[in-house]
Amino acid sequence: MAQSTLHNVRIAGVASCVPRQTVSNLDCPPEQVSMRERLVRNIGIASRRQSPAGLCFSDLAQHAAEKLIQDLGWNKDDIDALIVVTQSPDYPYPGSAVILQDRLGLPNSCLAFDINLGCSGYPYGLYVVGSMISAGKLKKALLLVGDKSTNPNSQDQGFAVLFSDAGTATALEYDESAPPAYFDLYSDGSGYKAIYCPAGGNRNPLLPEYLEPKAGEDGVIRRQVDIVLDGPAILNFSTTRVPPAVDALLAQAGLGKEDVDWYLFHQANKMINETIRKKLGLPPERVPSTLYDFGNTSSASIPLTLTMHARETMLQKPQRLLMSGFGVGLSWASCILQIEGAVLPELIEV
Amino acid sequence: MDSIEDFIEKFNGAVDFQEPVEITASTQLHTLPEWDSLAALGVIVMFSMEYNKTISGENLKNCNTIADLHALSA
Repeated sequence: MAQSTLHNVRIAGVASCVPRQTVSNLDCPPEQVSMRERLVRNIGIASRRQSPAGLCFSDLAQHAAEKLIQDLGWNKDDIDALIVVTQSPDYPYPGSAVILQDRLGLPNSCLAFDINLGCSGYPYGLYVVGSMISAGKLKKALLLVGDKSTNPNSQDQGFAVLFSDAGTATALEYDESAPPAYFDLYSDGSGYKAIYCPAGGNRNPLLPEYLEPKAGEDGVIRRQVDIVLDGPAILNFSTTRVPPAVDALLAQAGLGKEDVDWYLFHQANKMINETIRKKLGLPPERVPSTLYDFGNTSSASIPLTLTMHARETMLQKPQRLLMSGFGVGLSWASCILQIEGAVLPELIEV
Repeated sequence: MDSIEDFIEKFNGAVDFQEPVEITASTQLHTLPEWDSLAALGVIVMFSMEYNKTISGENLKNCNTIADLHALSA
């Protein structure tokens, strides 16, 4: 169990950016409306944000980072680290962090690398960056998290109605007065086929036939380069792993459920999120959701939900947040942070 | 273990049928109009929340009738 407590790390700001282009899950032929309404009722996703061609995750993250740096008044030369968490990089290599170091005008002294994680990626990223800052050598760092998950070429309707695009930026800095931050991180690679892309990597290098749509064992038409989702396996993983992990983290921090102001969970779908909430016995008002308007925004879903629902209260008074991400890997991670006086811009739309 | 009547009532809610459907213990799952991937997820959630049981996609595939599903709740 990778439980850890970090000291001297302060969240200085969080910014979230989404494409302006909205896609409705109810935009369908009239004969399908009733079926789609049932779908929306159960997965809880009415509309999603989709990047137009040419707009990448890194562009969304860059907008979020530029706004955050500007609002913080940070000198770019003081930024020591830029870590990107994404599974939709601009290129197979180099990683997006190194490219963004240049695009953001950060100095060559800024260390930059990518972390390949999806829905668990925000707490993981905070832990990696927080650990580097906590060690005392780095004073200011940026964590850019998110994905371009929509895929206009996908014929898998079960996939298409879930995913949405978003990029976020989080600023962290060394501060000896910061309250401790509690983390708990897990992995279970035995379940990797629950969410995976079969071809295009070195195990199954890209071949022309992998671009041909074919019906899989589950009857769903996909290309080998499309993501395979095993719904029952994902549901069981999420709803059995996350609640005990949250309880364990609260125990580690010596806190009761009522001591946390906001529970920010990865936004998977309503069935998963509501089951987790009910198993933990949490009141709905402390567990905000962005599913209805934004869908599943992968690793960006936690900071996006913070921006959309916790931001205004956080601007008024210190707030204790429990954040929990879970998904591809399989991987899950949670953290408890107290955030005070952070810079929190309104949602950025491009 | 719930009675078959109580189980069917919960099953109806979990599948979220668009039109009322007559269901008995011998009803074949594949004949139901909305026995799809969404219904499967709803039933898995129902087993988790109502019966504290984790059932897999494979468990569901091995069930032909409502009675087969009901037996999993025991």
